[in-house]
Amino acid sequence: MKVMMQKLIGILAIWIAAALSAPAQAESRGYIIDWFATATNAADYKINCPEDRNGGVMSWLRRDMIAAGYTPPEADKILTTVVGDMDLPQDIATRIFTRAKVNGRSVNVRSYPEAVPDPQIETVKGKYAHGFDLGGAHRANKFIDPDTKQPVDNQLWRAVGCTATFRADPPKKSYYEGNIWDNNLYEELVPHWALQISGADLSKDGKVTVVLSRTTRELLRDAAGQFLKNASYVIDPSPDSHSVLQGEIKNGILTIQPADIRLRGFIYGEIALRNAHMRMWFEDDKVVGYWGGYMPWLPFAYAYCVEPGSASDCTGIYHAVKNLADASPDPATGRNTEISSTFRIEAVPAYLLDTDGHELARPAILH
Amino acid sequence: MMNRLCLISFGLLLTATTGMASAAEPAAGEQFVSIRISESEYRNTIADVFGADIPIKGQFEPGVRTDGLLAVGQHAKSFSPVSIEYYDNMARGIAAQIVQPAYRRTLFSCEPRRVERSDKRCASQIVSSVGRFLFRRPLDKEELTTRVELADRMADQEHNFYSGISAVIAGMLIAPEFLNRMVRVEPDPAKHSALRVDSYSRASMLSFYLWNSAPDHALLAAAEKGELQTSEGLQRQVSRMIASPRVERGVRAFFSDMLGFDEFNLLSKDPKIFPEFTVDVLQQAQEQTLRTIVNHVARQRRDYRDLFTTRETFLTRSLAAIYGVPILDTGDGGQPDRWVPYTFPSNDPHVGVLSQVSFVGLHSPAGRSSPTIRGKAFREHLLCQKVPPPPGNVDFKAVEDTTNPIRKTARERLAAHANNPVCAGCHKITDPIGLAFENFSASGTYRTTEHGATIDTAGEYKGVKFTGPVDLAQLIRNDPTVTNCVARRSFAYVAGRTPSEEDSAWKNIESKFKSDGYDVLALMQEIAASPLLLAPPVMNTGELAVKR
Repeated sequence: MKVMMQKLIGILAIWIAAALSAPAQAESRGYIIDWFATATNAADYKINCPEDRNGGVMSWLRRDMIAAGYTPPEADKILTTVVGDMDLPQDIATRIFTRAKVNGRSVNVRSYPEAVPDPQIETVKGKYAHGFDLGGAHRANKFIDPDTKQPVDNQLWRAVGCTATFRADPPKKSYYEGNIWDNNLYEELVPHWALQISGADLSKDGKVTVVLSRTTRELLRDAAGQFLKNASYVIDPSPDSHSVLQGEIKNGILTIQPADIRLRGFIYGEIALRNAHMRMWFEDDKVVGYWGGYMPWLPFAYAYCVEPGSASDCTGIYHAVKNLADASPDPATGRNTEISSTFRIEAVPAYLLDTDGHELARPAILH
Repeated sequence: MMNRLCLISFGLLLTATTGMASAAEPAAGEQFVSIRISESEYRNTIADVFGADIPIKGQFEPGVRTDGLLAVGQHAKSFSPVSIEYYDNMARGIAAQIVQPAYRRTLFSCEPRRVERSDKRCASQIVSSVGRFLFRRPLDKEELTTRVELADRMADQEHNFYSGISAVIAGMLIAPEFLNRMVRVEPDPAKHSALRVDSYSRASMLSFYLWNSAPDHALLAAAEKGELQTSEGLQRQVSRMIASPRVERGVRAFFSDMLGFDEFNLLSKDPKIFPEFTVDVLQQAQEQTLRTIVNHVARQRRDYRDLFTTRETFLTRSLAAIYGVPILDTGDGGQPDRWVPYTFPSNDPHVGVLSQVSFVGLHSPAGRSSPTIRGKAFREHLLCQKVPPPPGNVDFKAVEDTTNPIRKTARERLAAHANNPVCAGCHKITDPIGLAFENFSASGTYRTTEHGATIDTAGEYKGVKFTGPVDLAQLIRNDPTVTNCVARRSFAYVAGRTPSEEDSAWKNIESKFKSDGYDVLALMQEIAASPLLLAPPVMNTGELAVKR
């Protein structure tokens, strides 16, 4: 009898725990991420970058030409004849971009940015950046979030915030990120990311479950060039881009219990955030917010070497991001392999279905 | 080069004028009516004769809607100089394609002895075979001889057999015998002093009606044997054609005409107000309705009236977003949107084809809904009624002002407009129907309010009250005018004239339509084999006529 009672109590405890941890799923809203970019604070540029020395395309091209052995007057003369590195005569471009040496052989700096000296670009000195306190040990490295006024770990912003590429506040994105999101070739071919928010009543404070996953099909655009609302997407059943997160809505703001998330994608190869935090809210029928965490710095930095020079300062960004990486030291080298980061997201309402056609979530307005 | 161009141009002109000359001088005792073939008939014919992958690059002149149908307008349509130029360009392009090695091996039944020279035997075989399908009858001796001689001259001039073939085929593609469907009348050997429509004309009539394309070999063979002049032979061919999947093309072409889908060419929506109305939606909206109709009347052979109450349709992702419903499309990224069968739930307001974008979206201006335009379209397209146009001095400001803070809904704006006694007469017959669909915006999305005010969709249809589009759909379904209209339109579509309600043969067709459970394919079968259709057309004095 006693054993049976103990078993019953145990079962009851498990049931209660499950009921408490997973909120009642009376409402499940579906969204598609339609805006995703590094969270910026370009409005504070003058405070962030008092030296204003990074310049734009022509500035870092001049810098690289001098690094390749041209004298400043020679570089200046050549630059009067071009508007960017794409216009350079082939022999000059070759000299500049294959100035790196690996094992004695000339290699392209975009493939081997490690092989050229750090140009030591200016990094952010300002006080404010969007993000989350990820538990970074160095208080001096922390920003203050302009919205929450809380301390923030966001060394990624510190690394890139003074580059021309990232002088863009929403609705603009950095050149690379805008090119990826708004380039029709990508969006017409590749799957995108879905967001499902479930809870008892999402108009009120309470516990929620957030599911991140990938769609099997590309996003649809509407006639105004934005992403179409209320479209249907099938969720990729693959577990490697599937994160189930527990969170809560409090005073209209949705946050999650820190967790690791991974989304394979078409931007930066994938988004992998360790110790991920989220802060999101509903704006009309959309979701807007920030995701932050520690992410591997190398894929991010390499992304800015893929685009031709007019898009970004490859070597400058690469070395700045590498230098400011602030987590997960490599046991062999001692160098940090991850960098604290924050991304801004927006999501439009969508139907989400599984591969059997069962509805997982529906658009907010149509609830 | 100049000589070559001159020769080709002369060749084309010769074949075209030869065609025109032969059309102007039929055999003694014959008369004919010529009816221009439509764009879809042209395209289908090229696809059926030469292959679906032959590109047709060119423009077609828009049709003229007469008595509710473009097909009737085709009976009166002549060729403008611009349209001749369009057809000429298309003809050259098509002819140049089909003589390419990849196509001619399958299309032509012979090869010349030497490619760089003429070959009368092979040219004769090709021209005869192709001409039979393009002209929808065998070429007579003079037609064939003239063209083969031209082909030979050009082949020898150009040192290429296929240059001659290309020129001759291009010429046939701009000949009246191709661009027009001829209805030839000959003396009836069985009835003294009577006339009858000849066999090849019957074949064309049946084929363009049921398949929206030129006759196939079996139908031409039946015509050649005289089988289409007998009731049994005619029924046999009509039954064969009705049973063929190609009848779906005929159904699509007819309903596309009847429902006024040519207006899609002029449709646009303000992307700021209706961003969901994308280019995909514009292209897919008519396809949705045509698929719904084809599935309903041609594949499932269901009651025509149930098209107004059915919840079954086909959707793509873009359309599903308009209707606010989920659909399962398991296609891969970058692939075209799939058409997915979808059934609206029983409590959904989307009921019947009138709730689809092809009606509520097509019959709305760019930035707002219009109950008047929808009501007018319903009466004209589906009840075969004529609604007079508004007077020239009407002030539409009150109706068009969607920002009016007092008259927030279309009903309120129209009430002010319709109180004008000059306007009320027409608006009484259009607006009650159109207002029932006000829950559907100009893009087809569903709404319950307009500028914060609740939309009232109640009204009255032929003395019976309804609360909204679902009720109204049932009333429309049960209205005999609806079935009467589709039957009359179907006849007029092929005959070019509306049947007389007093005609006993027509009454039999209508009665059979009802007893067949309003089966549209059965109706088409009845019409196709009816003596009413095959009666010799009435000749106007302006028609080309020849000495008897």
